[in-house]
Amino acid sequence: MSNRDQFKTKIENLFKEKELFHKELAKLSFEEKIKKLVRLQKIAHNIHPSSKKKQMVWKISLKSSI
Amino acid sequence: MEKTLKIINEVKKQGLIKNYAIGGGIATIFYVESILTYDLGVFYRASEEEEGVTILAPIYNWLKQKGYKLHREHIIIEGIPVQFIPIYNELIKNAVEEAVEVKYEETKTRIFKPEYLIAVMVQTFRPKDRERIIKILDEADINRDYLMKILQKYGLKEKFERFMRLFYE
Repeated sequence: MSNRDQFKTKIENLFKEKELFHKELAKLSFEEKIKKLVRLQKIAHNIHPSSKKKQMVWKISLKSSI
Repeated sequence: MEKTLKIINEVKKQGLIKNYAIGGGIATIFYVESILTYDLGVFYRASEEEEGVTILAPIYNWLKQKGYKLHREHIIIEGIPVQFIPIYNELIKNAVEEAVEVKYEETKTRIFKPEYLIAVMVQTFRPKDRERIIKILDEADINRDYLMKILQKYGLKEKFERFMRLFYE
């Protein structure tokens, strides 16, 4: 197998793994996904803390740590 | 979020709405990995007596009496901005009627089926809807025949197929 073919195979595998990773995350429980959502909201809030379009981070109690 | 869902269920129990189902970003999250969204979209069927622009008033009045505050187009229920959206067309009506019952912790709620979620997004078709359609198709278990039947029924099949050609060909 040429270097080019090896490289192509590696890239294809990388994308397949990436796809599988997203599918695994999609299988998490609803509760786990909501915890991750609040984490995303906090990250977005910290990136643009003074944005006029700033959205509210959910103020909810999460049963276990994120 | 469980407290919020309990209050929404109480709105139904009080007879302020006949039925409801969660759509939008939170329904999408139920089927795919977490995506960034900020509100909980509740599509509801109003009590038969309620019509016109005052359709939201009984719900909001009851919630305000409970101490919940309005924020822009939302009402903040137990820390979550909730948007109540009355059924505004046949597709939404069926999406609410056909919704599936799920549990969040110990509380029951109803969520659009993924096929209806896609159909509604094909209809609204904002940039974020297009992104979400792709995610749902990639990550959720979709009954393609059922989806096509819904799209056909509401005149969305061609629009969906054009979109699919653009993304997958």
